[in-house]
Amino acid sequence: MIVESLEMGRLLRAATTGCIIGCKVSQISLPSFGGLVRIPLDQRYQVFGLIYDIHIDDDGLVRQLVTALNVPDDVIRDNRENRNVPVEISVLFTGYELDGRVFHLLPPRPPLTLDAIYPCNFAEMVRFTGTGRFGYFRHILRAVNVPIPELLAAHVMQAGQAHTVCGDPAWTARSTKELITLMRDDYPALMAVLGSLSDADILN
Amino acid sequence: MNDPENEPIGYIVGGGLKENLRVRLTVSPQEVQEGSFVVVRSNEWQFYGLVTDLQLGATDPRFADEQSEARFPPGVAALLHGQTLYTNLEVLPALMREIGPELGSSDYKQRMAEFALKYPGGQSSLLPIKTVPSHHALVRRAHAGDVADIFGDPADPGQFIVGYTREQGHPVCIDLKKFVQRSSGVFGATGTGKSFLTRILLAGLIQYNQASVLVLDMHNEYGYDSTSSDTNSRVVGLKTKFASRVRVVGLGRGSTIRGQSPDFDLEIGETDIMPADVEMLTRELNLKETTATTLDALFRDFGRNWFHEFKNLVQGATIEDESGKNVPANGSVEYWARQAGINELAAVGLHSKCGRVFGRKYIVEKPVSDTLGEIIKALDAGQHVVLSYGENETDLDYLLVANLLTRRIREAWEERTNAFRAHDGAKEPRSLVIVVEEAHKLLNREMAAQTTFSTIAREMRKYYVTLLIIDQRPSQIYDEVMSQLGTRISGWLGDENDIQAVLSGLAGRDALRGMLARLQPKEEVVLLGWGVPMPLPIRSRRYDDRFWQELLGHNAVKRTESQILGELGY
Repeated sequence: MIVESLEMGRLLRAATTGCIIGCKVSQISLPSFGGLVRIPLDQRYQVFGLIYDIHIDDDGLVRQLVTALNVPDDVIRDNRENRNVPVEISVLFTGYELDGRVFHLLPPRPPLTLDAIYPCNFAEMVRFTGTGRFGYFRHILRAVNVPIPELLAAHVMQAGQAHTVCGDPAWTARSTKELITLMRDDYPALMAVLGSLSDADILN
Repeated sequence: MNDPENEPIGYIVGGGLKENLRVRLTVSPQEVQEGSFVVVRSNEWQFYGLVTDLQLGATDPRFADEQSEARFPPGVAALLHGQTLYTNLEVLPALMREIGPELGSSDYKQRMAEFALKYPGGQSSLLPIKTVPSHHALVRRAHAGDVADIFGDPADPGQFIVGYTREQGHPVCIDLKKFVQRSSGVFGATGTGKSFLTRILLAGLIQYNQASVLVLDMHNEYGYDSTSSDTNSRVVGLKTKFASRVRVVGLGRGSTIRGQSPDFDLEIGETDIMPADVEMLTRELNLKETTATTLDALFRDFGRNWFHEFKNLVQGATIEDESGKNVPANGSVEYWARQAGINELAAVGLHSKCGRVFGRKYIVEKPVSDTLGEIIKALDAGQHVVLSYGENETDLDYLLVANLLTRRIREAWEERTNAFRAHDGAKEPRSLVIVVEEAHKLLNREMAAQTTFSTIAREMRKYYVTLLIIDQRPSQIYDEVMSQLGTRISGWLGDENDIQAVLSGLAGRDALRGMLARLQPKEEVVLLGWGVPMPLPIRSRRYDDRFWQELLGHNAVKRTESQILGELGY
């Protein structure tokens, strides 16, 4: 049974490996870089993904305001909250759930436009990341034009916190070990990832 | 299953029979040492091997080059090291055995029934290594059961604890029955504990009564108590512990050994000395090439009395002949040489050089009793003889007496064996071990052909006589003799040639070479050769009060009255 939680936006466009979500500025506090999201398609099927980019585009009015002097606060707030151009959030698909079973594979079909997107809570995060042996890492590692080290650090930090809260503090070490195993033939990339993990201060 | 000894220490990642097996270590490298005895379980087979090397490796050299602990937090660095830096063991596979299906396997019952049918005794025999374990087969340290399985159970008769495995301290036995079937050697540089180890082996042989022992004790170490040159502590002699079974023989009448009178003295009759005995001293006496001819002529002229006659000849005695010319007098060396058609100078030279032999006090015209015969009789009766050289400690004494005595023994044992084989009711000859110290003096390349020892090492196994060679320079011993040695026990050796000599004829020489050079002096030895199932470095047993307590106390073999009387020669 897929539990609904607070919606953070709706799907703009999608492909096999990922999608772009649009959301209002009022919803901007919900998504975070590296966060795990889910897109329920029906009661049996939902797609999981990681946020790897949050893009705020300009519009004509912003272009004028940005150079204007002494813009009042209420104008700024009005422009932010009532703008027509949505905040675009890029999501990398990492797996899906079908009939209660989690797969770290690309979803059989992408979600459709305007499907609602929800951030995963701790329990959902633990359920998805704790299944199998970190198979979803391969989707992250082969992504192009994605800041992989930073994305991994952010994800491990958030998921590690969820696992710790749910009683499995060793998950962080296990996931880092798996990353090292997967990346040990690419020294520069691994060093970058470990550098990010070190900065995240999660394994002392 | 929670026994730490059964926990795997790694898994097979590669290798082969020629280049040894490679094992990825899953525990800290400090937990495993070179020389560890390890067991590999692969399907229905168990493989036994020896760790010969530990190598540090990295999946990428850059992981090893960079000190990542300084760059990353300890947790990340530890994980990185665990995944990218590793230690590989090199394991010399030695033996394998089919042990049946693993408990809990799906077709366990059926496979077990097949196994029982194949090996009705419940256990298959050990085989020399012929194949390799599979990839990722788990490797563990050998536990006491494995050591007993391979080297013998200390509780079994004839199994004698010679030392303990270095890491776990499991007792390692040698099969004394097998030990005396072929010649063997104890090697090691000076001060590595050869004499102590030899004492232990001799005590074992005597206690378990596997063979008679004749010790050619050049330095008077084995019979009576002495003092250790290193620790100044008292070292118990064999006579002290086996008073009735060991007879100490002194060389020469009235000799004293460490202030004590021996059981009897060995005197050599002049007629016992043969020309070959002197010829053998060529290097010691610096004899010339003409020696053989002169000795032949002496023996031809005087027969077995040649030594006595030659000794009594005088050099330079002259007499005036009818023409007033000085000619060699009758009874002079020169006179005899002329008569025998031998070069006078050669004869005189030999006579001069033999002066050292003529002067030996233990060589007498007529011994009071046949002491050589006494020794043989004692050995034949199951007693053990320590021939102490007393003050006659020169190489000349050692070579002469050792060779002479051994020649007599060889003749006696050949005769007994032939009689036994002829099925004329003669009893089987008693196995005899001749302990030769400083063996390179008797068994070097030049001497080997002339002395009886090389024959014993090569052939006398069939005649129940073997050697126990004790030496610090095995490279000086004739290759043919070295290659015949069954059991080799070696302490630390520094010289590359010595190491090579000890390892000659053995499989896995290259792998074992480094091990010999890294043994701890006085503490550790390597068991090698035919007499042991596989090479193994061990911590040698201590020769102390505890040893004697264990040997004579708990493990004492109960002997019947008739056995005791038999050993005493009755």
